[in-house]
Amino acid sequence: MAALPAMRPLGCLRSLVRASEPIQPFVNRRFISTAYSKRPERVPLPPNMPEQFLSQIPLRFRPDPDREPLKIYPAPPSARKACKDPVGAVTESQLAVLDPTGERKAMFDYRRNPRSVKTGDIVRVTFKNGDPFNGIVMSIKLRGIETSFLMRNELTRVAVEMSVKVFSPNVNSVEIVQRSEKKRRRARLYFLRDKKHDRRSVENIVASYVRQKKAFLGGGNRRR
Amino acid sequence: MSPRLGGLLQLSPVWGAPLITPRIPVRSFGIRSLNPPKPSRFNIGPGLPVLESTSTAALRRKANSLPLRTGAIGIKKGMTAIYDPESGKRIPCTVLQLDRVEVISHKTRERHGYYAVQVGAGWKHPSNVTKSMLGHFSVNGISPKRHIFEFRVKDEAGLIPVGQSIEAGWFQEGQFVDARSNTKGKGFAGVMKRHGFGGQDRSHGVSLTHRSMGSSGPGQGGGSRVYPGKKMAGNMGNTQNTVQNLKILKVDSENGIVVVSGAVSGPKGCVVRIQDAIKKPWPEVPQAEATEPATA
Repeated sequence: MAALPAMRPLGCLRSLVRASEPIQPFVNRRFISTAYSKRPERVPLPPNMPEQFLSQIPLRFRPDPDREPLKIYPAPPSARKACKDPVGAVTESQLAVLDPTGERKAMFDYRRNPRSVKTGDIVRVTFKNGDPFNGIVMSIKLRGIETSFLMRNELTRVAVEMSVKVFSPNVNSVEIVQRSEKKRRRARLYFLRDKKHDRRSVENIVASYVRQKKAFLGGGNRRR
Repeated sequence: MSPRLGGLLQLSPVWGAPLITPRIPVRSFGIRSLNPPKPSRFNIGPGLPVLESTSTAALRRKANSLPLRTGAIGIKKGMTAIYDPESGKRIPCTVLQLDRVEVISHKTRERHGYYAVQVGAGWKHPSNVTKSMLGHFSVNGISPKRHIFEFRVKDEAGLIPVGQSIEAGWFQEGQFVDARSNTKGKGFAGVMKRHGFGGQDRSHGVSLTHRSMGSSGPGQGGGSRVYPGKKMAGNMGNTQNTVQNLKILKVDSENGIVVVSGAVSGPKGCVVRIQDAIKKPWPEVPQAEATEPATA
C-alpha cells in the first residue's frame, strides 16, 4: 500500500506508451455489409458434363444451345412526348377558332392586362339572340376556354345574377360602361349580395351610356 | 359421426324399402334460398328459342352485341369544353390521349374460344417487365407495354395484324364510343355514402350511430341470418364502369388526342378503354383504311 503513492507519478508514462500504439481510424472503417464487392462473374459450366449432372442443375441454368436471348424491340415515337398538355392543345385549337385575334382573352385577362375588365366594373353584354344584359362584374374566372364572368343587376326589383362564358359564340360583344370608382381589394365581390353593399339596379347608368353612345355614333353614321 | 337416421330407416331394407321410401323425411342442410327462382311467366311460349349451353351458341347470342373492330387504350387527361360554332352550344368533353397503342396478339376461336385483339399502350422499361411478358412481347415483335387489354370482336375480320398501331384516327369524328375505366376510389366508405342509406336520427335517443346502417336483416322469421349481398359499409369506388354512347367530338392523330363528349369515370391519368358503341350503328369505316394496314 505504501508503494502505490510512490508509483503514481510514473502513471503519466502510460499515456506515452499508448500514443505509440497504432490508432484505428474509425472514420473510414467499413463494415463487411456495406463494402462494395463486384458481382461475381458467372462461372461457365465445365464442358462435357455428364448427363446425370445436368439434370441436377436448375432448368434456367442448364446450357441450351437453341435458346436465344429475348429480343427487346424499341418503342415507337410517343404521342405523349409529342404533346405533353393535350387539354391545353384542345383549348388552343378552340381559341384559334373562337377568338382568333386574342381580343377577348386580353379583355378579361385582368392579371396581365391593365385595360381589361375588372371586378366592380359595370359592363353591357350583347348576345346573338338580341337581348343585352347589364350588370356589375362580381367575379372573373380565368379558366382557358371556360373563362367566365359573373354579373349582378336588378331587374323589376329582383336581384339577378348571370354568369357568361367569355368565349361563347353566343356573346356578341362586351362593353365597359363604367369603371369601378375605387380599386377593389378583392378578386370576388360576393359581398355585393349583402344588403349593405348591394348596388341595386345599374340600368340607369347603362341607359345614359347607351344614349351618349347613340348620340356619338349616330352623328358618325349620318355623315357616311 | 354421421347424422342419426330416423327410426323407420333403420329397419332392414329388404323388408321395409318398398313400403317406407315415400315417407322418408327430406332433410336439407346448409343455406337455402328463401325465394327460390321461379320461371318467368312471360318467358314461356312456343316461339321462343331454346337456349343452348355450347360455346358456339354463346358466341351466336353475342354476335349482335360484339363490335366489329377493336378499340383503343387511352389516358384520361382532363376535361374541357368545345363550342359548336354554328349553334353556339357548349359541349363538355373529356380529352383522352392514345400513346403508342399497338396490337400485341390475337385471341381466336380455335385456341381460346373467342375472338379478341390484345392491345397494349405506353412503354415500360424492360427491367420492370416479367420475363414471361418480355417473351410475349419479344415473340410478337412489340416493345414492352405498360397497359395491356383485350378488345373482343365479332369475328376474325376484326383481328387486325399484330404490330399495327392504333392511332387516334381509328375513330371518326361524330361516331359513338363506349368508354370503360375504373371509377375514382373512395376508400372504406359507410353505408350512407356507399349505398345512399338514410342514416339514423340526429336525436330521439339515437346515440353514436347517426350514420350507421340499421338492421342487417330480419330475425327468426327471416332465418336469423344476414342474406348474401346485404349492403354494408366497405370499399367504395375503383371499380370498372362503362359510360356508353359518348360522341367523338375531335380527333388529332398527330398528338394522339381523342376528345369525347361528356364525362368518363376515373381520375385524371387513368386508363380508359374506348371501343365502338354497341348501342349505336357501327361506324362506316372506309374500305381503304381497313385494307391498307393489312398489306403494310
